[in-house]
Amino acid sequence: MRRLALAGLAGLLLACSATALALDGAAILKKVDRNLEPESYEMYRKLINIEPDGTKKEFVIFSLKKGRDKVVGLFLAPASDKGRATLRQGDNMWLYIPNVGKPVRITSLQSVTGGIFNNADILRIDYTEEYDVASAEEQADGYLLTLKAKTGAVAYDMLKMTVDKKVVLPLRIDAHAASGLLVKTIYFKDIKDFGGGIRRPATVETDSPLHKGYKSVMLYSQLKKRTVPDEVFTVDYLSRLEELRK
Amino acid sequence: MKSGGRGARAACVLAAVLASAFTQAQEYSFDASEFAKKPFELGGYAEFKQEALSLRPESPLFRLNFAGEAPRRSLDRSTGTVEFAGRWNAGDLVADVRTHSALAHDAFGATRLNRIYEAGARWTIDDNWSLDAGKRALRWGKGYAWSPVAFLERPKDANDPQLSREGYVVAGGTWVRSFEGPLAAASVTALVVPAGEDVNPAYGRPNHANPAAKLYFLYRDTDIELLWAGKGSRPGRYGFDFSRNVGTNFEVHGEWARTASLERPFVLPDGSIVQQRRDATSWLLGLRYLSESEVTWIAEAYRNGAGYTRGEYGDFLDLANAAASSAPLAQRVQSLAQSPYARPNPGRDYAYLRVSAKEPFDWLYVTPAITAIANLRDRSFSLTPEVAYIGFADIELRARVVWLHGGPDTEFGSRPNRRRIEVYARWFF
Repeated sequence: MRRLALAGLAGLLLACSATALALDGAAILKKVDRNLEPESYEMYRKLINIEPDGTKKEFVIFSLKKGRDKVVGLFLAPASDKGRATLRQGDNMWLYIPNVGKPVRITSLQSVTGGIFNNADILRIDYTEEYDVASAEEQADGYLLTLKAKTGAVAYDMLKMTVDKKVVLPLRIDAHAASGLLVKTIYFKDIKDFGGGIRRPATVETDSPLHKGYKSVMLYSQLKKRTVPDEVFTVDYLSRLEELRK
Repeated sequence: MKSGGRGARAACVLAAVLASAFTQAQEYSFDASEFAKKPFELGGYAEFKQEALSLRPESPLFRLNFAGEAPRRSLDRSTGTVEFAGRWNAGDLVADVRTHSALAHDAFGATRLNRIYEAGARWTIDDNWSLDAGKRALRWGKGYAWSPVAFLERPKDANDPQLSREGYVVAGGTWVRSFEGPLAAASVTALVVPAGEDVNPAYGRPNHANPAAKLYFLYRDTDIELLWAGKGSRPGRYGFDFSRNVGTNFEVHGEWARTASLERPFVLPDGSIVQQRRDATSWLLGLRYLSESEVTWIAEAYRNGAGYTRGEYGDFLDLANAAASSAPLAQRVQSLAQSPYARPNPGRDYAYLRVSAKEPFDWLYVTPAITAIANLRDRSFSLTPEVAYIGFADIELRARVVWLHGGPDTEFGSRPNRRRIEVYARWFF
């Protein structure tokens, strides 16, 4: 009888600790989201695609995000792309090209800039919006989170995220397709104080075993909290985004 | 001397290390302040295009398009184009202008074109309301090659749908609102397209205000639009369109439009021309698919309710052929030079397919593509292989060949040219 009670107690403890671990994983991911960016913000990014021969192609994008799943981006450079605008609302994405004059739906696996970053990377929304924490593991200096896509509409089926324990920011993400294939690895570098309590990596790099020798880099600047009306994140506003720059 | 050499080598190594470190730092530096908003902005592009056309002098449409010119089998044409886009930002008020100038030269002579494609002002009153007035190139619809619901724009070239086009003078307002729940966004656009002797003369019959409206909804992740253009310079029209992502790499779209009492010229089998009035229903269904190997497929099926059947178009070609030996008939055919018979894609049923591959075989910045447009009624078609290169900063290079196939009594087989080779360089500034 005593042995049975002990076994029951041990089982209960194990169940409790497993639940606590799962809860910790979700909490860590939530913290990662908020440490990376405020829920609503504006920022400028330079995106550099580097080819195997060293040649580079650069884009400059002004972005606004609101809530967990609304993002817009306005291309400021190069001249051939100036005025192009992209919108993401959850799983929906659109591209506006001034010459075409109307928003066209795009998909998350396409890339409006070419290179290794696809539309889902460029118009990234909160990880907690797209992924559940399947498992969380504590390591010497960090955590290893395994994230599983909530739906089939998410660009990557599974992410392996290594999180720096001290600052609760990602160091590296391995993105996998549903087949288990490693699609790309994203590296977070150069933690910088952007002011207003925002301290995050200013450089995000990516490479892919599918595109050996290619690399894409995103550099962050002037990231700050800003809340704009919800109507900014509609297709009708895509031709007017320049008006929101201060 | 020896130690001097070592010193020099050490200095060189140090300089190289410093230069490398400096280059690395420079490589990844970004200061957004150099992209600060300016009150005035000017941009645009300059383009040089060279075309080599293989002509069909025996085609009745050759005589229609090149009336009075001697028959010839080839034609080289050089075209220079400049577009300027200017913008003045004054807070909630924005004024903009886009000009288009082109000079083309071929054996038939030189043609100049100077147009203001767009010019106007927009006032954002608050988060929900905005007003817009001026010349505007409105683009309604979801179709890539065709758009049956594009009630307020000039005809689109299915073989180059992204080409910029001139707008019409319009005035109107838009109300937009976001929501929580299955209906995520809605907007209403209401406008007038005045037509008179001096304003929008190409739009249709003069002295009409031509009201139009568009309702947009983002409902359960689907774009839905209801569109209406009132009767006036043109017949009354209404329709709807939709677009939806059905996966991370798959999009579907469609359009449906109805035109009431559409008037169009109609060539009877005896060669006489009558004006026919009837209701027309057009629709389009399309998809866009990105494969794992980054090949984009765009496919569309189009029913042009206002189009001519193979027999009807054949009657027109018979008349144009007969006009070669009859001056009165030639005059009659010339009256159709601006009619739907002579516009791109006058037929009833079409299919469109475009396949483009992003940097295949590790060809950096190179995008090859092939486009096919088929008239399903007469089985004639055009095939356009092309290659684009964007490896130089702000410069786009493109080369393509347009092949037209079909019998002499078909749409693509009766065109004045059988092949066009085109090369252009475009510099964006």
